[in-house]
Amino acid sequence: MLRLYLRFYLALVASLVLFVLATVTLWHFTGGPMEQTGITLGRLVQNVLPPADSPAAEQQEALRRLATGLHGDVTLFDQEGMPIAAIGRSLHTPPDVHHEGMPFTLWSREHASYVHLADGRWLAASVPIGYSHPRFMFHAALALLALAIGIAAYPIVRQITGRLERLQRGVESLGAGHLTARVAVEGRDEVARLAESFNRAAGQIEQLVQGHKTLLANASHELRTPLARIRLAVELMKASADAKLKLGLEQDIAELDWLVDEILLASRLDAVTDALATEELDVLALAAEECARYDGAQLEGKVVNIRGDARLLRRLLRNLLENARRHGAPPTQVRVARDAGNATITVWDDGPGVPQAEFENVFRPFYRPGDARDRAGTGLGLALVRQIAHRHGGDARCTVMADGRSCFVVTLPAGASS
Amino acid sequence: MVERILLVEDDPRLAEMLSEYLGQAGFHITVAALGAAALERLSGAQFDAIVLDLMLPDMDGLDLCREVRAKSDTPVLMLTGRGDAVDRIVGLELGADDYLPKPFQPRELLARLRAILRRRVRGRIAAEQSLHFGRLEIDTAARAVRLDGVQCDLTGYQFDLLLALAEKAGRVLSRDLLMDLVKGEHLEAFDRSIDVHMSRIRAAIEDDPKKPRRVITVRGAGYVFAKAQD
Repeated sequence: MLRLYLRFYLALVASLVLFVLATVTLWHFTGGPMEQTGITLGRLVQNVLPPADSPAAEQQEALRRLATGLHGDVTLFDQEGMPIAAIGRSLHTPPDVHHEGMPFTLWSREHASYVHLADGRWLAASVPIGYSHPRFMFHAALALLALAIGIAAYPIVRQITGRLERLQRGVESLGAGHLTARVAVEGRDEVARLAESFNRAAGQIEQLVQGHKTLLANASHELRTPLARIRLAVELMKASADAKLKLGLEQDIAELDWLVDEILLASRLDAVTDALATEELDVLALAAEECARYDGAQLEGKVVNIRGDARLLRRLLRNLLENARRHGAPPTQVRVARDAGNATITVWDDGPGVPQAEFENVFRPFYRPGDARDRAGTGLGLALVRQIAHRHGGDARCTVMADGRSCFVVTLPAGASS
Repeated sequence: MVERILLVEDDPRLAEMLSEYLGQAGFHITVAALGAAALERLSGAQFDAIVLDLMLPDMDGLDLCREVRAKSDTPVLMLTGRGDAVDRIVGLELGADDYLPKPFQPRELLARLRAILRRRVRGRIAAEQSLHFGRLEIDTAARAVRLDGVQCDLTGYQFDLLLALAEKAGRVLSRDLLMDLVKGEHLEAFDRSIDVHMSRIRAAIEDDPKKPRRVITVRGAGYVFAKAQD
C-alpha cells in the first residue's frame, strides 16, 4: 500500500511535470512569443536606422534619435564589429556568440545588451533591450518554479498526512482495546477538528465501558449476595429439613449461580476488551476435570498444551458438556487432539444431534430450535463457547463426523491470545 | 479459647446468618456493616481473623484490606461477588490471606477460616508449605491431608503420590512419571500397582470415591489432580 503522503506528493510532482511539459510544448508550437519579439526588435531598429552604407553622420543622428530618453549608452557596430556611431561612452565590440539573430545580453564585462540587425549591423546598449536566451530562460524559470513548489510542498504534505497517520494510530489503538488512547490536537484545521472529535468519542467510549464494567461488578455482587444467603439458610436448616428438599434447593442455587455467571460473562466478553489472563494450560487435564463433574462423560486424547484463560476455557468445556447433558443422550464423548499446532476439542453424544440446517443457528444467543421441545438452559451456552473460542483466536463450529452424526469442534491456537 | 472474628459485611441478613453459622461452629462474631465501623472496631479490640466483603457502601474492601494490613497481621479472608481473577490477585497481593467467591459453600468458608487461623498459630513460613484446593488442604509440613479440617487417613507413600499430583495440579501425569516423582524417597513395595494406591487416596479424600473429582483418571494418559475444586 502506497502511503497517503507519498500519493499526495507524487500526484503533485506529476502535475508539476505535466504543467512544465505542456507549457514547453505550447511554447514550441506557437513559435515562442519572446523569441519573436527579439527578431521583430532587430527588424524595427533596422527600419528606423538609415541603411548600412549611408554616411556615419547620418547614422549618428539616427542613433541619437533612437537613444532619446534611454538613460544609457548606445553604440552601433558594422558587420565586422567596428563602431559606426555611439551615444555616450563607446560599448565593447559584440562577442562572437551563437545567437540566431536574436538579441542577447552580456553581464560579465559590463551590462550590455546586443541586438543583431537583419543586415548584419549590431546595436549595443547599456540598458537591457530584448530578451537574452528567451527559450533557456523560460525553461529554466519553469523548472525552478516546479522545483520550488516540489520542495516546499513536501513538508506541508508530510505534515498534514503525518497528523492523519497519528490519528489513524490513535484509532487503531482504541480499537485494540486501549481505551485511554488519545491523539494530540495540532493546528486549527479540519484534521485538528477530526482529532478533537476522535478524542471526544474515545472519552465517551471509555466512560461507557467503565460504566459497563462497574455495572457488571455491581450486578454480580447484588445477585450473588442473596444467593450466598440462601446457601447459608439451607445449611442452617440442617436437622429440620429433609435431605431431598435440601438437595433440590442446592441445585436451584447452583443453577441460578450458573445463570448469573453466564449472563455476566456474555456481556463482559461483548463489551470489555481487556487482554486475557493467559497461562500455560493442559487442555486434556482441563477437560478431565470438567468431565469428572458429569456422569457418563468419556474423555480420550493426548496432552496438548496451549496458552489460554483457564477460567474461560473451563466455562467453554462445561457449556459443551452441559449442552450435551440437556439436549443429548449419554454417553457424552470428548476428544482432545493436536492438529497442526492447534488444540482441537471435539464433543458429541448419543442423542439426536444437531440438524445440518441448524449448525450456525445454535451459536446464536438465545436461539431456540423451531420445535422448542425443551427450554432448559440460558440460551447463551453455545454462544459463549464461540465467544470464548474467538477471544482465544480460535473458533467453534458444528460439523458432521464420519459416521454421519453431528459434533461440536473447538479449535484453539497453541499460542492463543486476544 | 474462643476465637474472635470480625465480619465486615454490608448485607444485614447475610451478616446475621453468617454470625449464626459461624457462631454454631464455635466462633465469637462481631459484625461491622461499614468500612469505617470495621476500622473503629479494630482499633478497640483484638481479633483473630477478619472476614471481609470486597464491596462495601462506604469504601472499597481492597482499601480496607490495605489499611488493616498496614496496622496488623490479623489474617483476612475476602468475600466477593465479583469472582474476577483480577480481584483475586489484587486482593492477595494486598495481604488478604484467602479469598472466597460468593455464593460460597458455608462449609468451605468454615474450612478456609480454620485454615488461616491455624496458619496464624503456626506462623507464615508453615503457611507457605500447605496447599489449598477448595475444602481440601495438603499440609506438607505436617505431612497431613485435611478435608473440611478433618484429617484424612493416608500412608506415607500415598501422601507423596498425592503431593506429586497436587504440585502439578491441572497437568496430566502418566503413571511412569508419577513413579519417577515418588520413587526417589521411598523404597516401599512397587509390586502393588499405582492404581491401587490411587483408589485408596480417593477413598480418603473424595466426597464420592465412585465419582472422583479431585484425583481423576484420564484413559490412556494417566492421572490429573483437579486444580479447581469445590
